[in-house]
Amino acid sequence: MKVLAAGVVPLLLVLHWRHGAGSPLPITPVNATCAIRHPCHNNLMNQIRSQLAQLNGSANALFILYYTAQGEPFPNNLDKLCGPNVTDFPPFHANGTEKARLVELYRIVVYLGTALGNITRDQKILNPSALSLHSKLNTTADILRGLLSNVLCRLCSKYHVAHVDVTYGPDTSGKDVFQKKKLGCQLLGKYKQIIGMLAQAF
Amino acid sequence: MALFEVFQTTFFLTLLSLRTYQSEVLAERVPLTPVSLKVSTNSARQSLHLQWTVQNLPYHQELKMVFQIQISRIETSNVIWVGNYSTTVKWNQVLHWSWESELPLECATHFVRIKSVVDDARFPEPNFWSNWSSWEEVSGKETSTERLKKPCKVTTPLSVQDSLGQDILFVFPKDKLVEEGANVTICYISRNIQNNVSCYWEGKQIYGEQLDPHVSVFHLSSVPFIRKTGADMYCEVSQGNVSTSIKGIVLFVSKVLEEPKDFSCETRDFKTLHCTWDPGVDTALGWSKQPSQSYTLFESFSGEKKLCTHQNWCNWQITQDSQETYNFTLIAENYLRKRSVNILFNLTHQVYPMNPFSVNFENVNATNAIMTWKVYSVKNNFTYLCQIEVYCEGKMKQQYNVSIKMNGEYFLSDLEPFTEYMARVRCAGASHFWKWSQWSGQNFTTLEAAPSEAPDVWRNVNSEPGSHIVTLFWKPLSKLHANGKILFYNVVVENLDKPSKSELHSVPAPAKSTKLTLDRHSYEIWVTANNSVGASPASIIVISADPENQEVEEERIADTEGRFSLSWKPQPGDVVGYVVDWCDHPQYTLCDLQWKNVGPNATSTVISTDAFRPGVRYNFRIYGLSTKRIACLLEKKTGYSQELAPSDNPHMLVDKLTSHSFTLSWKYYSTESQPGFIQGYHVYLKSKARQCHPRFERAVLTDGSECCKYKIDNPEEKALIVDNLKPKSVYEIFVTPFTSAGEGPNATFTKVTTPDEHSSMLIYILLPMSFCVLLIMIGCYLKSQWIKETCYPDIPDPYKSSILSLIKFKEKPHLTIMNVSDCIPDAIEVVSKPEGTKIQFRKSLTETELTKPNYLYLLPTEKNHSGPVPFICFENLTYNQATSDSGSCGHVPVPMKPPPSQLGLMISPENVKKALGKNYMNSLGEISAGGTNLNYVSQLASPMSGDKDSLPTNPVEPSNCSEYKRQMAVPLCLASPPLTENSSLSSITLLNPGEHYR
Repeated sequence: MKVLAAGVVPLLLVLHWRHGAGSPLPITPVNATCAIRHPCHNNLMNQIRSQLAQLNGSANALFILYYTAQGEPFPNNLDKLCGPNVTDFPPFHANGTEKARLVELYRIVVYLGTALGNITRDQKILNPSALSLHSKLNTTADILRGLLSNVLCRLCSKYHVAHVDVTYGPDTSGKDVFQKKKLGCQLLGKYKQIIGMLAQAF
Repeated sequence: MALFEVFQTTFFLTLLSLRTYQSEVLAERVPLTPVSLKVSTNSARQSLHLQWTVQNLPYHQELKMVFQIQISRIETSNVIWVGNYSTTVKWNQVLHWSWESELPLECATHFVRIKSVVDDARFPEPNFWSNWSSWEEVSGKETSTERLKKPCKVTTPLSVQDSLGQDILFVFPKDKLVEEGANVTICYISRNIQNNVSCYWEGKQIYGEQLDPHVSVFHLSSVPFIRKTGADMYCEVSQGNVSTSIKGIVLFVSKVLEEPKDFSCETRDFKTLHCTWDPGVDTALGWSKQPSQSYTLFESFSGEKKLCTHQNWCNWQITQDSQETYNFTLIAENYLRKRSVNILFNLTHQVYPMNPFSVNFENVNATNAIMTWKVYSVKNNFTYLCQIEVYCEGKMKQQYNVSIKMNGEYFLSDLEPFTEYMARVRCAGASHFWKWSQWSGQNFTTLEAAPSEAPDVWRNVNSEPGSHIVTLFWKPLSKLHANGKILFYNVVVENLDKPSKSELHSVPAPAKSTKLTLDRHSYEIWVTANNSVGASPASIIVISADPENQEVEEERIADTEGRFSLSWKPQPGDVVGYVVDWCDHPQYTLCDLQWKNVGPNATSTVISTDAFRPGVRYNFRIYGLSTKRIACLLEKKTGYSQELAPSDNPHMLVDKLTSHSFTLSWKYYSTESQPGFIQGYHVYLKSKARQCHPRFERAVLTDGSECCKYKIDNPEEKALIVDNLKPKSVYEIFVTPFTSAGEGPNATFTKVTTPDEHSSMLIYILLPMSFCVLLIMIGCYLKSQWIKETCYPDIPDPYKSSILSLIKFKEKPHLTIMNVSDCIPDAIEVVSKPEGTKIQFRKSLTETELTKPNYLYLLPTEKNHSGPVPFICFENLTYNQATSDSGSCGHVPVPMKPPPSQLGLMISPENVKKALGKNYMNSLGEISAGGTNLNYVSQLASPMSGDKDSLPTNPVEPSNCSEYKRQMAVPLCLASPPLTENSSLSSITLLNPGEHYR
């Protein structure tokens, strides 16, 4: 049972990255204990800060790479087509407690992770030759995955938070191509904006 | 007959049956009406799909019918399309029909109805249309709520609600795939008619027409291919200046599918057909909207089909040996179009043979070889046409065609000995040429043969006393004539004048010359080249016993762009040819002698080689070859392939310089070793004068300065007299030679200064004068004693003095001249002084010396001298210049009072000072008071004790004081008497002031 309980969190983490996951899923069952497979590092916060800084450093380049690959009218209508007006994006309050900030960060990273997964999938179909964009998207998703793991460790080990309600990025699978391109651009614009704020807040 | 009756019966029965059917249908008069009309849509294709049945159709009967279909848009009265559809209808058959709309179906509501009429030949007129079916509505812009309220009669694959939700703006069609050049209609649906909607196609705003208050349409005609990921169009709703919503579509424009080009099939082994084609442009699009076009191979005789996995080739397995003819159709297909090409061929006509193999050469000798090869056997009795090519040094020498079955063989002839060849072969089907195989080749080398041509030999003869030094040169045989590797050259020398044994000299290759020393006879020389097989024909040359004629005049030839055109007068008598020789590098000792053989009828030739360099003088000798092979020098030519300007300037000498001219010369300047024929010299002259001298002309130098220039046209004239110059002036001069290419390099001017006009005259005067002075000086030196005695004796003889004449002239009888015999010799006694008084004395003396003359009194040697004591008064004129100048001393006869005490004067400085001052004062006073004219005083003797310690107590009073005006010399015996140790100290002390004098 212990093994099963210990494997629940990683299993659900893997489920987070399911492409096109559209509806919220509970991270852990309500009555599950906060257990993680590996012991957490001592310098978790430093690692979180470092990962946020790394993401912040590459966010703008990813944004530019994305809208350039979409072709006209995206590069010349960024404010209209790529404005960071994503309605269901998880909120973040920089003046909250560390615990509150970490919970909000967790939600944001989960949201961004699924959104980025959808964008990567769409772009691989729409722009199969945009290899540098694909590479950048994959790298960013990898760092987000590591960041999520560290945030979870921190929440679990210090604050014993075993359950966080999350929302996922919009599912684009049923949308037309223009909507996919536009949503991707808006999400990356939002990502660029929020990641700067997060890097400052931590 | 029976058969006829059977046929007749059958005919009537059939006619009866038909009439019965016709009477049934027409008798009923029931209209055949379309019923159960259902309309569905295909949003991607923008098509309406209709299906219906026909009511009242008789059981198991077929009937040709025409259906008229009406389609309205927005409202039923707005009919946009009417058309007929003819088909044969069976009983209980569901009919289908589609209609494609240019407007996206989502943009507007469509209405469809249908009616029918029988159009069958079995049922003649009159026919009439059925009633229209009821209108079937296909809703487009319905919102989700409206559609939820009203049951949808039409099923759409993608509902607006699902895809767009509660948005206020919709744009259609979504992700449409069209072909390049197609016309596309796009619409937007705005929920609120108050909204301001702007639409953009690839970033540029476009304007449409309003279909109804909520719908606007845009017609894009002939859309171009923009990118594989599609072209974007978007519309934005704005309220005021604020954009509230943006919606867009991606239009996927595909390239037009091209027909495959160059479609062909061939076989190499009669087992597989390899078909190839040029696919043209790839029509694949992003988002998997359209993959690359697919290719399918269909063979009509066998009915087999194969989907090709590659875009430009496909293999087809030959399974039936009996099938010789194939009819292939290649079908290219994408989502929008299908294209096909067809070929029909006989298999044996499409053979692309495998490459020949086992290429070998047999029986290879010097001029021929046998080539063999093999081909793959693909079919019984299949004949190949093979092509053979023979290459030598990269050039094709021979080409042959030969028909073979399996093993090929060909005899290659007319080959060159000792030559490497490359032979290759390729084959094709002989019955019907389709394609050559690849080449298969091999190298081989033919064997050696004896050299086929005599070497080209020439000679250079240097005559020496009693012998000829003959240098033989030959050119290596060309590969064509050498027929192998030349190992050595044989030189056979035979004396023609007296029978003797021939001499053989063997010179190993690759030597190209040899030197022979021959006596003054005629010799015949044979030269052969030898390889491992044999010797070449001999080249014969005869050396005449007579020395070569060197008296031929050399002629200059003009250069013509690196080529020399030589011509000569024909040789009288029979000649077998001419030879022109020259050196490629005449400036070197090993000048690389070259020669050219010219035919006997030629009198000119052109010499052109890459070895000719600009600025080098080449000398050509033209020989005539007699029938006896004796060479006779006919002419000499010299010239430059390109003349250059002189490389150096002559070293200039200036001589015969006068005040008005000088001569310039550069006689050592060699005109032969220059990079061009020296045509003359330019002499540049600079001077301060603005005008140029006669014969000179004004010129401007490269540095912009002006000067005068004189041109000498004769290269052997190497001197110039520059005259009409100004004396004592500076001229700058520079000489440079010139050729046809220009003059020599710039160099510094040499300065020449003309001398003064009178300086020579002065020399003429000064030299004799100097000589005279020198003679006089020598005479004076030789007769110095006589002159001294005559002109300035140590002791002047008053009688010989000219003063006598003055005295006589002034007639002063009271002045008499004293005889020498009357004088008593003087003596000096120096008195020793204490050391302590020395400085004091010096001081007092110094104080007085500026104003008073110093006197040294020579004391008389006789103690008891009484009366007037003669003494000598020396006046130091240096310390009394003013006084001396006034002549107060020298010109005044001083009736000198004797000093009170000479000893006392010496002991006490005060005394000395006093005595001196007194003495001096006295003297001055006496001079001033005396007023006499006596200006010459002879010596006086003063009585003086010889003992220095016993000084006279009574100072002597000179009775007659004589004073020399400029008597400076004091006899050594008087001035420096032998002193004791003490006295010497006093003496030095006393005379110390005298150091200032020296």
